[in-house]
Amino acid sequence: MNAPEPNFHGIAPRTGELARIVRVNEEIKAIVATAFRINLMALNAIFLAKRAGNAALGFGVLSNELRRFAQDLTRHMASLREMTSGSVGSVTGVVQQQRIAAILAEALRLSGEGVPGAREARRRGATRLAEQQVRLRSLDLRLRAAVEETQQLVELGGVLARSAKIEAAYGGSFSAALMQVSTDFAEVIAQIKRSLEVLGKERLVKD
Amino acid sequence: MKQAHCIYQDEEHRWLAIARDTTKPGYIIDTNEYVVVHGEEALLCDPGGIEIFPSVFSALSAECDPTRLAGIFASHQDPDIISSLALWLEFKPDLKCYTSWLWQSFLPHFGGQDSTFVPIPDSGMTIRLDGLELQAIPAHYLHSSGNFHLYDPKAKILFSGDVGAALLPADHNELYVQDFSRHIRHAEGFHKRWMGSDRAKRDWCERVSRLEIDMLVPQHGAIYQGADVQRFINWFAALEVGVLRS
Repeated sequence: MNAPEPNFHGIAPRTGELARIVRVNEEIKAIVATAFRINLMALNAIFLAKRAGNAALGFGVLSNELRRFAQDLTRHMASLREMTSGSVGSVTGVVQQQRIAAILAEALRLSGEGVPGAREARRRGATRLAEQQVRLRSLDLRLRAAVEETQQLVELGGVLARSAKIEAAYGGSFSAALMQVSTDFAEVIAQIKRSLEVLGKERLVKD
Repeated sequence: MKQAHCIYQDEEHRWLAIARDTTKPGYIIDTNEYVVVHGEEALLCDPGGIEIFPSVFSALSAECDPTRLAGIFASHQDPDIISSLALWLEFKPDLKCYTSWLWQSFLPHFGGQDSTFVPIPDSGMTIRLDGLELQAIPAHYLHSSGNFHLYDPKAKILFSGDVGAALLPADHNELYVQDFSRHIRHAEGFHKRWMGSDRAKRDWCERVSRLEIDMLVPQHGAIYQGADVQRFINWFAALEVGVLRS
């Protein structure tokens, strides 16, 4: 891919902030898709546990919990998604303001020192940019807190998946099938954990 | 770099032409911007696109205090006319933008708020600039469906937007038309293609023929003055427009 070209007078277009939001959104989409998969897997596990009867009573309880976990996870991700879509407006505002400020600065530089109104225009622009950046930082903090909360929820999901593995060992003739289901749970939850780690490292604004 | 040239001066009343930028990238159409200065106020006609804002701003600032800008006149909605609006407003947030009512809800995509825009009715209106009365003259469908030119009866200058425009070769940098027959060749293809309505063209020719015009100043190319003004109107009246090729 080619690097973005400077538009004129060496002012490079600022695409980093929007690119970060796109990455955050993509991770969220991936987790939402995985949460949907867990929900289906949990439903199948509930049916399998019913067929296995008394030998899989514990597994059945855990499958119900995993299904609830998947639904909670979907809700968390929906709220994260809402936050990021709201942040697109804030990031766009910052990007626009930065671009305007850069072009105006170039205009003032070409005009030489002492252009009437230049100081006021710079101050107004800087104030507006600072206000937009404060809004963006606050959104970023909220997003990070929400990701941490989701990570704790996923920890619980990991515990449920491990317990399901243990319960699968007592599943009698269904043991192998239950073991396969619980291993799938553990893998999917590990995948969500990795996505959340990536998400936790993304920032809407540079520190 | 663009430079502001004073094309008219009568005491505190001036017209500046910011024309012919030889340093701009070749892929951007060359544009002329005009500033009407009267007393303590100034009006910028078709301020141009985002990419040329720094050179227009610095050219204007060299000749006129930019804080005196009271308004912007946008002949129509094209990006080479008015996409720099947000930048001018960044410098002076209380600027008024005079444009056809038709574009009142479109131009905010370039910048500005509801209070920024002064909609011009189809029949035109008077724009006051520190006591000077300028006339927004209807030029609809030439080429935009909501299009105005600006007439200054005191200076006898008609800012004619895209009418009169010529796409001149890079080495033709004259401010005024020197040889009408040679110049008009560079205007012909543009007018045939961009001006879509023969009826609108005839209406415009009749309307402006009633005005006293010493200079016809277009948004692209050189300025027509003296007898070349009527020569241009006659040429335009006879031209077949709204055609892809001649």
